[in-house]
Amino acid sequence: MAAAESRTAGRSPALARALLIAVALSFLGLFLVLPLLTVFVQALAKGVGAYAAAILDPTAWASVKLTLLVAAIAVPFNLVFGVVAAWAIAKFEFRGKSTLITLIDLPFAVSPVIAGLIFILLFGSHGWFGGYLKVHHIRVVFAVPGIVLATIFVTFPFIARELIPVMQAQGKDDEETALSLGATGWQTFWRVTLPNIRWGLMYGVLLCNARAMGEFGAVSVVSGHIRGLTNTMPLHVEILYNEYNYAAAFAVASLLALLALLTLAGKSFLEWRQPELRHAARQGRDRTRREIT
Amino acid sequence: MAAPAAAFEVKTLSPPPPPRRARGVLPGFGLTLGYTMVYLSLLVLIPLSAVFIRSLGLGWGHFYEVVTAPRVVASLRLSFGASLIAALINVIFGLIVAWVLVRYTFPFKRLVDAMVDLPFALPTAVAGIALTALYAPNGWLGKWLLPLGIKVAFTPLGIVVALTFIGLPFVVRTLQPVLEDLDREVEQAAATLGASAAQSFVRVIMPALWPALLTGFALAFARAVGEYGSVIFIAGNMPMKSEIAPLLIVTKLEQYDYAGATAIAVVMLVLSFGLMLGINALQHWALSRHGGR
Amino acid sequence: MSIALRGIGKQFGEFAAVQNIDLDVPTGALIALLGPSGCGKTTLLRIIAGLETPDEGHVLFDGRDATLWPIRDRKVGFVFQHYALFRHMSVFENVAFGLKVKPRRERPAPKEIRSKVQSLLELVQLGWAGDRYPAQLSGGQRQRVALARALAVDPDVLLLDEPFGALDSQVRHELRRWLRRLHDELHFTSIFVTHDQQEAIEVADTIVVLNRGRIEQCGVPSEVYDLPTSAFVHRFLGQVNELPVQSRGGRAYLGPIDISAASALGTGSEANIALIRPHEIEVGAAASGWPAVVVAVRVIGPIVRLELCAEGQPANEPLEAEISRERYEGERFVVGQKVGLRFRRWQLYPATGAAA
Repeated sequence: MAAAESRTAGRSPALARALLIAVALSFLGLFLVLPLLTVFVQALAKGVGAYAAAILDPTAWASVKLTLLVAAIAVPFNLVFGVVAAWAIAKFEFRGKSTLITLIDLPFAVSPVIAGLIFILLFGSHGWFGGYLKVHHIRVVFAVPGIVLATIFVTFPFIARELIPVMQAQGKDDEETALSLGATGWQTFWRVTLPNIRWGLMYGVLLCNARAMGEFGAVSVVSGHIRGLTNTMPLHVEILYNEYNYAAAFAVASLLALLALLTLAGKSFLEWRQPELRHAARQGRDRTRREIT
Repeated sequence: MAAPAAAFEVKTLSPPPPPRRARGVLPGFGLTLGYTMVYLSLLVLIPLSAVFIRSLGLGWGHFYEVVTAPRVVASLRLSFGASLIAALINVIFGLIVAWVLVRYTFPFKRLVDAMVDLPFALPTAVAGIALTALYAPNGWLGKWLLPLGIKVAFTPLGIVVALTFIGLPFVVRTLQPVLEDLDREVEQAAATLGASAAQSFVRVIMPALWPALLTGFALAFARAVGEYGSVIFIAGNMPMKSEIAPLLIVTKLEQYDYAGATAIAVVMLVLSFGLMLGINALQHWALSRHGGR
Repeated sequence: MSIALRGIGKQFGEFAAVQNIDLDVPTGALIALLGPSGCGKTTLLRIIAGLETPDEGHVLFDGRDATLWPIRDRKVGFVFQHYALFRHMSVFENVAFGLKVKPRRERPAPKEIRSKVQSLLELVQLGWAGDRYPAQLSGGQRQRVALARALAVDPDVLLLDEPFGALDSQVRHELRRWLRRLHDELHFTSIFVTHDQQEAIEVADTIVVLNRGRIEQCGVPSEVYDLPTSAFVHRFLGQVNELPVQSRGGRAYLGPIDISAASALGTGSEANIALIRPHEIEVGAAASGWPAVVVAVRVIGPIVRLELCAEGQPANEPLEAEISRERYEGERFVVGQKVGLRFRRWQLYPATGAAA
């Protein structure tokens, strides 16, 4: 009896295992691979010529340039913030630290649409600063500054939340050593801290950039959809799609999908270089929680 | 040398002691914390508070009237309901995917692992049009589902599909590190004590996974509630039937109904913040009970 | 450079890490701060280095108040327990760091830096390793790089936090001797932190024993080992046997042995205990001294440890005695053998101190 039991016990894991792998792969295939495949198939549905034409279209190019511009402004802003915030949080003890970390994460809990809305409420024609801006002929909403602001808001936590756990894990020994060897604060930061966090920094920048270039909801609310002027790539995809110009919509979308694949490749590379990065964010959160209790 | 010369007194010092730095030797605490607070306030806290302050201007009666309008209630119910279903789907399949990725080996495992992050990296608009193309009546999947009487695109079911896609990485990525850390010896100990595989899963593994499962659920849910880009293409956007709350905000904004948009935004923010705080507290409790990890 | 601490205290929240510390370290001394974990020894070292600021008291460098001097101006070399080598720099760059970050007018020429770093690497026997990265070195080698790096800026004081704590025992032993030689050659003032009494005794001129943020005792190793001023120090610096002192008819006894005459401590307190090191127990013929039975014999290299159950003592708390191998070869104690015990030396402490 016992022997029979152990024999079934020996066989059932193999069966369960095959079943579980099959379920997992089917789920991922259905929800990840098929949509991705669709993008490329649809983009090329009308042939390579139509694909090239859709991408080389001037308004498409304008949207590419705007997307790059917005990311080129938003990412550095959040990069500086991320490094500065991580320094304060990881290297010092102070009251309210966990509250501060929660507040930094706040934009993740806000719908992108609301992220756009708040800048309309501030800078729109009926907004708090609307009157002032109108008098001075400054356009924020329905213009590039609004898109940049909304993008910064939406990507706000990315770099900080990657860097905080990385810096916390590294402790203060290296910096204290550098200071004891006579280095100034700046020398310590540039020569010791920055090289130590460089992989984590790139990781954060990569994720931040992917979101900045791909953001749709927030940007859609503040952009005004002015073709060739305030259309980013995702907005351009939407316009083409709504005009039933599917092949062109998917052609531009395929560029964004390529960006996503590059991001994933870069992410995997960085995780291979620095395995701790994989789960850094989670561990950091646990650690701060443990420090509090 | 044997005994310290306690008789020696420090006479060279003037009585008022200089202020002592309590935060250790690393420089930049004031500067970095100050910058963090200012940047956080300017870009996140003050803009977010604008929503709440504007909604105060509505007056309670008007506010109540707006948010209890049948169309608004229907959209909120749809947003939260569909998000709940999607998050639950992700909990079940996310657990299976994480388990398979951590415990088993199979070909292309690393590639599959990397692909899990696709929903983070793929712009939501691209995901939206791709899923729509897949599930439309003439799409690869829609074509097969239609004869079975299942309509996905342009129905609430489509919304669930899109939200499942968006939330997919959260559960997997929060579970993975916990599963990796889970001491296999504990399971083996359970087995030596006579527990079956199912028993040891239910009694030994699941209790350790609860906090992470809950976190993953909360993150996927919160992301889904606010999601806009991937949903609007597939939803059909019929008022009262398949119109999500973020879309209603956009619609109201397009009609220059700032008051209405703000009121819905406040309800959404309060609900999602409240939910996040509640689940955070629950998770904290679970963590403290199970001693972290 | 001489260092003096006057009334140093430091709190971390509710926890008093060190309290009211007075200590003098003369120029050229090699001092060990010894104590169990949490005794405040590392905090004290960090206060001297300038990595922590004390809440009260003063740190004097050559008689000048250095309490609030920034770490850069202190001229201290600090070696961390886990070395804190800069992982992205080669060994050479690590050692050169302190020279390269000097203000331009004080900075040596590149050629000078090169030769100085090379000679330091030779000093720590790593002349060949300049191009290696820390990850490619063993623990002991990393420790020596950390030391060379600290020495590169010509510190007046060398501070080492558990310098050998993370190494295996063979390497530890070598590095201890090597640090001692290095200190004797270079004559800087050194303070190191350790929880290992063996290490403190082997390396240091002076041992400062810390307990619960206070100095328990301070003295040369033999003095601290042989004449501990408290039961805590006695226990911390080596193996001890503990026996209650019984008083009968105004006289003090350890078992049947009358110690009144030899005892320094009065016999008034009933609750006194005696601490006796294993080598201070003399194991003799059954007729002499305190009757006991041998319950275990372990040969440990040059010494032999006997576990002895003395008459009237609980059987689960045998006494430990150590005898030389030669003596053992001669007498061949076996388990079950009846012997007689005498004590060559002992120290009496009030039993209340035993809890500390």
